[in-house]
Amino acid sequence: MLTAEQNDELTQVEAGTRMGEVLRRYWYPVAFTRELAEFPVKRVQLLGDFFALWRTPSGRYGIIPEPCPHRKASMAYGVVESDGLRCPYHGWKFDTEGACVEQPAERENTQFQSRVRADAGVVEELGGLVWAYVGPAPAPRLPRFDTYVMAGFRDIGWADLPCNYVQIMENAVDPHHVEFLHGRYFEFIGRHEGFTAPASFGKEHVKIGFTPFEWGIIKRRVLKGASEENDDWKVGHPLVFPYNMRVGGGGVHQMQIRVPIDRTTTRFLLYTVHSPDGYEHVEQPTIPDYRIPVLDEHGRHVTNYVEGQDIMAWVTQGAITDRTTEHLGRSDIGVAMLRKMFREQMDVVAAGGDPLGTIRDEHERIDLPCEKDKFHAGGAQFALDFCDMGSTRFSPMLDAIKKIHISAADRIAAGKTGSEPAG
Amino acid sequence: MTGSVDRRFVVDAAAHRRDAPRFCPSCACALSLTTEFWEADDRRFYCWCGGCGWTGEITGTGDVAVGHEPVSAAPC
Repeated sequence: MLTAEQNDELTQVEAGTRMGEVLRRYWYPVAFTRELAEFPVKRVQLLGDFFALWRTPSGRYGIIPEPCPHRKASMAYGVVESDGLRCPYHGWKFDTEGACVEQPAERENTQFQSRVRADAGVVEELGGLVWAYVGPAPAPRLPRFDTYVMAGFRDIGWADLPCNYVQIMENAVDPHHVEFLHGRYFEFIGRHEGFTAPASFGKEHVKIGFTPFEWGIIKRRVLKGASEENDDWKVGHPLVFPYNMRVGGGGVHQMQIRVPIDRTTTRFLLYTVHSPDGYEHVEQPTIPDYRIPVLDEHGRHVTNYVEGQDIMAWVTQGAITDRTTEHLGRSDIGVAMLRKMFREQMDVVAAGGDPLGTIRDEHERIDLPCEKDKFHAGGAQFALDFCDMGSTRFSPMLDAIKKIHISAADRIAAGKTGSEPAG
Repeated sequence: MTGSVDRRFVVDAAAHRRDAPRFCPSCACALSLTTEFWEADDRRFYCWCGGCGWTGEITGTGDVAVGHEPVSAAPC
């Protein structure tokens, strides 16, 4: 339970707000790489602001606020040229640094382009995603988290959800929900729809724990029949501050990304890499992306898959959940810890510091802790449950992915390893 | 800008506003964040002080101090 003022502060994303200023210190995925290969300019919404994102024919990316500094027409309808983006209305052109390099209608002696800049952000491509930083300079490095750089077979599921990102992040430090939302509730839906829910999701929690670390909070659990020696406790998996969660197991590696599009819209992306022991390289010219279902034709949430259940819970809490009348228990202590972390980082940024999880050193790869034997369910079985019972069910690559896991398991069983396991 | 308030629990929200600890027990600065949670009959407040970094739980006990009987104590 918080006061209304604390809830307001916690859930803000806009420029000039305390939390909005924290959020502007991070990089966000704003497009799939293939999108700008198909058409080189895109309108992007991020943290409540609109931008024009473009890719020059030589492969340089740029991002500037959507309204042209001239008379506010949309630069997202701009003409992409070799050295910048030209406004469709009167032809002002801006380069990737945000400098105005042409004002065609002005005579040479009346031009004033040095007096109008476009507040450019910084853009990089990594792992099939286009990432943007739109905060104050100098930009930190784009963190090269393991999922984006490891070998493996990839796909990206996504959906836009009508709720604030903080309630989604609170779910990442809430281990008990798995037992009920993905256990008991899944069984209930399965009985009515005629399928068997995965047994491993319904295991009883004996103990939960949370450890703050340099990238966020590591979440740990001991399930009935297991001990602190099992991966679920010994390794756990992290909430990656402020908007990600790293999960996986059984040769599946996933970053769950929750981009604050605006205060009440979150883009949920499931960036998944399949890389089981025994994996043999499969060529992927582009990384496929696909929408995951949120509502059915009757307007009810689709809850017969894991992430659909999460989405139902997040969205039905309300666009911005009312934390003044919630009733937390001891089992919600991770939620209280996360709120403290958000609040701490507001102070850090207000004092001019770099918040948690920003990196300025050059680096090749950041490995995040993540259990391999999740729910002590057995690797291949977890992977197949993941495919059939999770969002991967909707992937255009489903058959290929299942084949990857089955043939890798066969290869291991036959004692002839493929390429070294990645990750 | 937060959504509608759940009218069933406005009394709890008012109690939180009234009773949440305001000052750090370590340095006496205003507490930066206080999240209330309940445990059996207790109302507990998970607190953080941005001034000195103190983090802890504060629980009101009322007038009664509750102990426990020694395990080996014979019944009266």
